Amino acid sequence: MSQATATTQDVKSWNGGHSPFNVSYGKMMMWFFLLSDAFTFGAFLISYGTTRFFSAVWPDPNKVFHSFPFLGEANAPLLFVSLMTFILILSSVTMVLAVHAGHYNDRKGVIKWMLWTIIGGIAFLACQAWEWTHLNHQGAWWGSFTNPATALSSFEHFFTADKAVIAQHGLQATHDFYNYFFTITGFHGFHVFSGVIFNVMILLNTVNGKYELRGHYEMVEKVGLYWHFVDLVWVFVFTCFYLL
Amino acid sequence: MSAHHHNDNDTQVLYEGDQSKLYSGLMNHHTDIQSADSKKQVSKIWKVTGILAIVTIIEVALGLYGTGAGMPKGLVNVFFLLLTIYKAAYIVRVFMHLGDEKKSFLITVLIPLTLFIWFIIAFLYDGGFWLEMNTKF
Repeated sequence: MSQATATTQDVKSWNGGHSPFNVSYGKMMMWFFLLSDAFTFGAFLISYGTTRFFSAVWPDPNKVFHSFPFLGEANAPLLFVSLMTFILILSSVTMVLAVHAGHYNDRKGVIKWMLWTIIGGIAFLACQAWEWTHLNHQGAWWGSFTNPATALSSFEHFFTADKAVIAQHGLQATHDFYNYFFTITGFHGFHVFSGVIFNVMILLNTVNGKYELRGHYEMVEKVGLYWHFVDLVWVFVFTCFYLL
Repeated sequence: MSAHHHNDNDTQVLYEGDQSKLYSGLMNHHTDIQSADSKKQVSKIWKVTGILAIVTIIEVALGLYGTGAGMPKGLVNVFFLLLTIYKAAYIVRVFMHLGDEKKSFLITVLIPLTLFIWFIIAFLYDGGFWLEMNTKF
């Protein structure tokens, strides 16, 4: 009986006159865009994995990422990237609180939480700028570590493996590692950057009362989806580059 | 009766015009952000924040001390992947509200992602195969 009822409702929901998915066109298309973006990031990360499986040695993240601003030569593996992860998670939280305020047409709430989200995004970008600069000072960039005459001492500290293996394969592995690192965190950082721009645009519209006039804050929700996706991608980047 | 008819007409007008008004929750008449329902949702958001933070701390601790404490690297990696998916599921379900969407929409979004199962296995296997070929010959 209940099945028969469900079937009738199902046929009705696809008969036209309303959205069978009960979402607006814009929100649905944001989801499908994010789905395609997930495959782009997925392809990047899987390609990184393929190269890593292909390599006889691979840099140890605990050895590569162990610095913290203003701590000099102190050995603090994973500490800085943990901070970056917390910043991004918290900015995702403030975003979902902005979306929540939007559901209740609470303009002041949306403004407050959007501001925090933007601050979080900028803080994350600042952290990434510091990390890139720091690695660059150690000689890492796109296309670095290619000269076969490079001294073993300039890259062996990235590894925990046997010294003979590092001498034979370490240079190529370091080169591959940094190419992928800058490409993938750069692509993600560009998403964060564009997300901050979108967030500023939404904030300005909210301050100007555009959404109050429109009667709903769905734009906050759509840009929120993008922002959460950026956080979601970071969860995977964090695992692939810093943990595994 | 006439009021009902009036509503139907409204819906039709909105459907042809600004769809967002129909599906943004506006028609659900959410008004009071201080209501019990609203507070319940906010407390759920903070609960999920706590879960994400704790899982991240566990991941970092595993990364720093896992192998040192005698855990095989393979086992540590399994934990990393499971915890990552655990975090991702919370972000998508609660923060992105996919859990609140219609089930048919949720399935439509999630089914294409199953391609990743083939994608990951095929390409990692390929990498491992080439390493073997390079080492042996």
